Amino acid sequence: MSDVAPRGAEPLVLKVLALAFTVFIVGYILVPILVTVAMSFNDAAMIRFPINVWSMKWYADFFGSPQWMDALENSILIAIGTAAISTTSGVLCAWAFQRFHIPFRDMWYILIMMPLFMPGVVLGLGVAIAFGGISIGGYAFYGSRELVMLAHSLWAMPLVFMLMEATFKTIDYRIVEASYDLGGGPVRTFFEVVLPLVSTGIVSSLLFAFVISLNEFVMALFLTDRDTQTLPVLMWLSLRSAGTPRLAVASVILALTVFTCLTVIMLWYIRQLRKVAR
Amino acid sequence: MTDAVRIDDASYETQRTAQERRKLLAPWILMLPALVIVLVFFGIPTVYMVRMSFNLHMDQRLYVPGFTFEHYVNLFSNPLFTNAILTTIKLALVASLATVVIGYAFALLVWLKPARWRLLFIGLALAPLLISEIAIIFGWWMFFPKNGLLSYGLLSAGLIHEKISLMYTEFAAFVGLVYVTLPYCFFILLSIFDGIDKRLLEASADLGASPLKTFREVMLPLTWTGILVAFSQSFIWTMGTYATPSALGPDTLWTMGFLIQEQMLGKHNWPMASALAVVLVIGVAAVMVVTRSMQSERTSFHV
Repeated sequence: MSDVAPRGAEPLVLKVLALAFTVFIVGYILVPILVTVAMSFNDAAMIRFPINVWSMKWYADFFGSPQWMDALENSILIAIGTAAISTTSGVLCAWAFQRFHIPFRDMWYILIMMPLFMPGVVLGLGVAIAFGGISIGGYAFYGSRELVMLAHSLWAMPLVFMLMEATFKTIDYRIVEASYDLGGGPVRTFFEVVLPLVSTGIVSSLLFAFVISLNEFVMALFLTDRDTQTLPVLMWLSLRSAGTPRLAVASVILALTVFTCLTVIMLWYIRQLRKVAR
Repeated sequence: MTDAVRIDDASYETQRTAQERRKLLAPWILMLPALVIVLVFFGIPTVYMVRMSFNLHMDQRLYVPGFTFEHYVNLFSNPLFTNAILTTIKLALVASLATVVIGYAFALLVWLKPARWRLLFIGLALAPLLISEIAIIFGWWMFFPKNGLLSYGLLSAGLIHEKISLMYTEFAAFVGLVYVTLPYCFFILLSIFDGIDKRLLEASADLGASPLKTFREVMLPLTWTGILVAFSQSFIWTMGTYATPSALGPDTLWTMGFLIQEQMLGKHNWPMASALAVVLVIGVAAVMVVTRSMQSERTSFHV
């Protein structure tokens, strides 16, 4: 019985260990975030600690620079497009998996999920090779925002599909049957009964897809040109040349965009919960 | 009278077959957009990529159609590439191990802490997931160098007397990589922990087991599958990522992902980049298959 715990002594050791680990993990996760936020308010042109003079100078610089504002605009447009494409296709596909018998179901499932496990650099390379020289009716497909949206959908769509597959399983199908019995066709039932039931899942899907696309930069690096490059791509390219506090501002703006969306979602959830409560 | 019934029957039959046909067709119409995206933007590019990897590369052109194993031979004989393959595997292995250990401890902590802390910790773990990899890289990029926060902090605390730089070291690359993959590991493991009855710990303690023994004989076996899934997930992720190690690590830290980009965008050697990508994909697939086969049937876990 040598393993009997001497009570009292060990829990203290464990408590100290737990505390030390908590400090470590909180510090680890917060360090790059705090460094970035602090640096974005630096007045100097160099990345250098300590920060002596604080100012909003680099924010003004960011919003005054057409190059960076264009990149931000590209990022947001591409993210909106990705959210729309991947949510539409993912929701429809998940509905098909939920409601219909599909031959070779597992094979299709794996095929749809596979891009999610592919490194971005491989997907970017593949799409760049396959669509490198293609232009449709004089409009160059390569380098366009649409191509980046579709490439980002390779990651976003499987996620939406996975999320919606789980969501559709939670529906009370007696409501759907009731709609059919009352004469609602499959299309009308889907739009007027099913979609409102899973609205929370759809809003979450849109958010996921948006955030993935907004933050992604390896595929975008392969697929954009000077006019369509996204904010993360521009940040990556400038990091390679020289880092200035402008990059910190760009990081903060990117993160703020994500957190704004999150807040909107939170408000949406609260509203939905209130509706249910009423 | 009988005629009328027969007609009704016939029209009912046609209606039914039409309905049946629609039922057969409907799932394909619903799946069409998703399948088009996957087949056109993943399937076709993959075929192109495999084909491209056998093309010739000469005269500074992107590629010349042909058929050669040259790039694959080069890949496994040229020290530049073999080193990159080894570096990639080594880095992915070490970073994933560290990620799993830290992620496990983190998930365990959140699981054991009272519920009121939970939301706070989950919010914390979400942060690296919601921040772009480039922003994370840049954050560490300002922390490690000579004029960075680390050096300044240590200097002000009197722990060192000269400015130090950890920038462009393998350690910096490793810290960045773990940061990027940690949330995935954490959430996979937390979901496993949440499925465990906490009273098991009390039961084990009541039976006289020390915390260490409880951990080894109760917790580890129960979470083994989660550990495997978390490990393979971060291994796959670290194998494919290249921005973090190439931006934070030393110039000699060439991973496969970095070489793919270098060959594609820098050297304009498409066949070589494709060959590298094909080998990388095969590596990722191999890791997935091995993990799947290591999960025992009883505890199979769906991600």
